[in-house]
Amino acid sequence: MIEAIAFYSMAAVTLAGAVLVVSLRNTVHSALALGLSLAGVAGLFACLGADFLFAGQLLIYVGGIAILIVFVVMLLGRASDLHLRQVNAQWAAALLVCAITGAGLWRLGALYRHASSQVPAAATTRAIGLLMLGDFAVPFEAISLVLLAALLGAVFFSRKDIS
Amino acid sequence: MTLSLGHYLVLGAALFLIGLFGALTRRNVIGILMSIELMFNAANINLAAFNHFLHPGGVAGMTVALFVITVAAAEVVVGLALVLAIYRNSKTVYVEDFHLLKG
Repeated sequence: MIEAIAFYSMAAVTLAGAVLVVSLRNTVHSALALGLSLAGVAGLFACLGADFLFAGQLLIYVGGIAILIVFVVMLLGRASDLHLRQVNAQWAAALLVCAITGAGLWRLGALYRHASSQVPAAATTRAIGLLMLGDFAVPFEAISLVLLAALLGAVFFSRKDIS
Repeated sequence: MTLSLGHYLVLGAALFLIGLFGALTRRNVIGILMSIELMFNAANINLAAFNHFLHPGGVAGMTVALFVITVAAAEVVVGLALVLAIYRNSKTVYVEDFHLLKG
């Protein structure tokens, strides 16, 4: 029962935040709603027993990416943006694409609908660390190169005298 | 009342579709980036849920989700730096005005 309450409240937070992200006109409010939605996802990870993922989601997404987006939103844009339409004219086509994708996802998800598990939650951090330095060692090293490249790219593109 | 994998899959699909709709319809490029983040998160929910329900005791799904979070962080950092560079040149954040490559 307590799991169901936790799941439904976190799902409500996540979906409400997501709807606000795509529907609000003010981009600053949109970015704050993104932080709310990401925090809801972190709560869902906690419901799933993924403790390390919960902490990582809060640290990286809520504490890093959402704050970064808020900073950039405040650097860009003008006050007149608040009076402009924030969606393009293709919402009907986008709705159609979403409906078709949703139907496909529904068909696929129906294959697994009734799987449930009663395994008690256990700490996962040690197992994740062992897996990352074992089977996932090559992706683990590659991801550090990706992060280095992203760091250099961010510095390169945000230089003042880009020529 | 017990939770099954279907609950999480429906939630992940709903989050993905909201993100997809936002990515297709927002005019503001930062709005599009935020919608893409929502889609990443939907994928992460599904990874963690499949891990929990189909491989209880395993952690491979969570590890892949951590890699997804890392790649998403790299993507958003480079994307926002590009947005800043484009804004400095063309003074706009609306994607229909991004026609630097159009002859």
